[in-house]
Amino acid sequence: MPQQPQAQPSPTPPPKKKKVRVPRVVNGVEQMVEIEVDDVAGPGWGPNDKHALLNHRITRVDGPLKVSGAARYTYDVRLPNMLYGRVRRCPHAHAKIKKFDSSAAMRMPGVKAIIQTPLTELRFAGSPVAAVAATTPELAQDAARAIIVEYEVLPHVVTADTAIKPGAPRVLAAEGPGSEDNLAAKGKQGDPQKVEAAFATCDAVVEAEYRTPRLHHCCLETHGMVVDFSGGDTATIYATTQGTFTIPQDAARELGLPQSAVTATVQHMGGGFGSKFGIGIEGMMACRLSKETKAPVKLMLTRSDEFLMAGNRSGSWQKMKGGAKKDGTLVALQATQYRLGGLGQGSQAGQPYAVYRASEFYREVYALHTNEDSGIAMRAPGHPQASFAMESMLDELAYKIGMDPVEFRKKNMRDEMYHRQLERGAREINWAKRNATPGGGSGPLKRGMGCAAGTWGGGGNDQCKVDVTVTRDGSVTVAVGTQDLGTGTRTYTRAIVAEELGLQIKDVVEQIGNSKLGGANSSGGSTTAASLSPSVKDAAYKARMELAAKFSPLLGNAKPEEIVFANGNVTAGGKSIAWKQACAALPPAGIVAHGVWRSDLQSRGVHGVVFAEVEVDVETGKVRPIKMLQVQDGGLPLNRLTMESQINGGMIQALGMALFETRVMDADLGVQLNPSFMDYKLPGSLEMPELIPLIDDDDKREVVIGIAEAAIIPAIGALANAVFNASGARIRDLPITPDKILMALAAERRSA
Amino acid sequence: MSDEHEPKNKSSRHDPSRRKFLKGVGVAGAGAALVDHIIAADAKAAPKKSIVAGQPVSGTVDIVLDVNGAKRNVSVEPRTTLLNALRNHLEPAVTGPKLVCDMGTCGACTVLMDGKNVYACLVLAVDAVGKKLTTVEGFGTPENMSAVQAAFVEHDGLMCGFCTPGFVTTISAYLKKNANPTLDEVREACKGNFCRCGTYPRVFEAALAAAKAGRS
Repeated sequence: MPQQPQAQPSPTPPPKKKKVRVPRVVNGVEQMVEIEVDDVAGPGWGPNDKHALLNHRITRVDGPLKVSGAARYTYDVRLPNMLYGRVRRCPHAHAKIKKFDSSAAMRMPGVKAIIQTPLTELRFAGSPVAAVAATTPELAQDAARAIIVEYEVLPHVVTADTAIKPGAPRVLAAEGPGSEDNLAAKGKQGDPQKVEAAFATCDAVVEAEYRTPRLHHCCLETHGMVVDFSGGDTATIYATTQGTFTIPQDAARELGLPQSAVTATVQHMGGGFGSKFGIGIEGMMACRLSKETKAPVKLMLTRSDEFLMAGNRSGSWQKMKGGAKKDGTLVALQATQYRLGGLGQGSQAGQPYAVYRASEFYREVYALHTNEDSGIAMRAPGHPQASFAMESMLDELAYKIGMDPVEFRKKNMRDEMYHRQLERGAREINWAKRNATPGGGSGPLKRGMGCAAGTWGGGGNDQCKVDVTVTRDGSVTVAVGTQDLGTGTRTYTRAIVAEELGLQIKDVVEQIGNSKLGGANSSGGSTTAASLSPSVKDAAYKARMELAAKFSPLLGNAKPEEIVFANGNVTAGGKSIAWKQACAALPPAGIVAHGVWRSDLQSRGVHGVVFAEVEVDVETGKVRPIKMLQVQDGGLPLNRLTMESQINGGMIQALGMALFETRVMDADLGVQLNPSFMDYKLPGSLEMPELIPLIDDDDKREVVIGIAEAAIIPAIGALANAVFNASGARIRDLPITPDKILMALAAERRSA
Repeated sequence: MSDEHEPKNKSSRHDPSRRKFLKGVGVAGAGAALVDHIIAADAKAAPKKSIVAGQPVSGTVDIVLDVNGAKRNVSVEPRTTLLNALRNHLEPAVTGPKLVCDMGTCGACTVLMDGKNVYACLVLAVDAVGKKLTTVEGFGTPENMSAVQAAFVEHDGLMCGFCTPGFVTTISAYLKKNANPTLDEVREACKGNFCRCGTYPRVFEAALAAAKAGRS
């Protein structure tokens, strides 16, 4: 996978340098690296409640385009002479290609090229074996179906329970020492003897297994790209991507062009959630088809392709044992964690989940392989899985020792910031009114509440290079290659510049989503805002200083730092000039200021808690979510309106994970049974609870921190715990479907 | 490379598909009506080959679609969906309606056909002949948004925006039927539209606000 070139610090006598640890995103997963940056102090953001535009409710600048159908997505690009690509997939979980014959398909109307996978052995159902380019998508689909492929079907395994057994079909070759069969050891931490000893001192012990299924991103715009190449010297790639700069290098390699000849662009994109980095297999196929036909090719995956070959969130199987004292202290925790990433490694945060501490803990982590498409990054990789298990186990312990789950959590948290958030959340949802006894109360409809907490980094790195240009007519442009995933990147980029120059949002235009603009990081790990906004601020500040020097003669030779930019005017020494009039004094080319990242304008480390209220029908097992509220800190909220939307979005995706979504596999056939929106249940309008996103303004940090991933983590555990509080059914295997609730209640009645 | 002049009515023996099925249905099922539409729409744009009931049609037919008040000539295979005709065949294209599931589950391709909201991925283009079609582009422009569109922006009823044209169309149609809906009625009206970013609460707010604006 391509990585954008990392900016190297200048070797010549520089300003002072300092070392900072920052996240870089590789394939959607953040990795911490130490980098050196200029140790320059500049103006800070100032107090969070003293902004003219930032931390206000700013409507999206691309909103009018999107609500009127005028926003042009990759899927909407149509070029002259463009061909449409279609993929043919392998229907078997494990097979060798015995025969491949595309001669008949090639003769079908409109078919221009067919390419074949270089692989001979395919290890999951959905693995692409060929791709067709034809003049319409319909004809391409016909031809893809007409290719004759014969397979030698080999043994497969698609369930964790079978894959772990001795003698199960082997999914991958041995991974090295410690790996046996389909199980690869990924690390151990803690002291098992000390944990054993600590369990002996506990007043309550819970031992249970928690499972989360593999989930799909379900980006409404499927993966794919349009390759604008007709055999010439250059190419433009329209990509639906979270990393504009992850595209050119690999596309250039496929097209046989130098990287500098390839431009990647993404103006609007229909969802990524961690799944869209690099050109992907579909991008490789699109490029090869384009190269072969010397014509532009659009290859967007179909919805079933998307389910079967575009990745997924890895599942988890966590065997947990926790022990607490009567006072609520978690003194011992033992966990065996299996990451269910199919052919891939999967991801799962280590236990105890980072919000909490345990006096003694021991964990073993394994990757357990099956014949399924690799798990890839999905919003907060590894966290929802670990958080659900930890939050459920803590809840079980709290009930076992008879302690308020909120108080129990407070006792074991690493950071007191959570206490304030839990107290606020409890107040807002009226926690005191929750079901006193789980499953208590009369009648079949029972209400209950649950809570949970999450954490994420959300810091930035130094990859964004921003230009702010001001021209003689007073127009202002801010340019950077960064992509806007629908998170509001465009809007805050404009707002930062407008605020610095004392202008309105409408007075600034942005150029983004193009690899020919200033370098930028991939949008993964919630790193975009904290990477981009400091560079934008730096560019805007430098522009302001340069303008002030130019405007000084107009303002009685006032010192540049004394010139105030506000309300569309520049003012000093009692004299005020309108912005446009002042800009008329600029040189013909205007001015350009280059901004670089400043670590002091951002930080990492956010918290966040969710409280959920649900109603469970104990006769049918149906869960109706009533209310969810999230208290979320994030330093300086760049735009309250879009931040709240993103928190809502996190809660809603968590609702899907908790109650509805699962990839259903047929163990015998090795295929997914629900690769469509008909059968993969997404949360819809009828299931929406009342959603309350609460920004934690008691967080006074004057820094930008990303919150996208933080928003999805805690609600899953909160919902599961609410189901228990309502009904008395403890469901440890997501999603919490009616059958599981009825079975749990029946088991409880039998044992009573 | 393929031979473009291959006889087009030679039926393929390879896996019969939904598209192939539609290819047949185009004439066997709706054949008579189809011929009527084509002839009624434009006498000069006669089918390129004679159509015999019971025989599959392949190749293309010339039709006229009435999209957002404009008559648009287009040449499509009989099996082409209205959605693909709008997006892939009209010149210039109409890409507000999005292709997301292609099987009538998600609502991103919602358009109005004679004022009624339909999934454009489930309607054959030839069956839309003679009908008044309105896509999201027909309600307003970025510079001159409809009340519903403006409410979506104001209430942030969108994030990535890929589902937004469908929601805007669904709600615009619904408010025509019910100018004063309750929250539960709005939820019910939106149940055929999916959003993945999680804009539902603000879509509801936008719908209620647009209704209120329409009444005042």
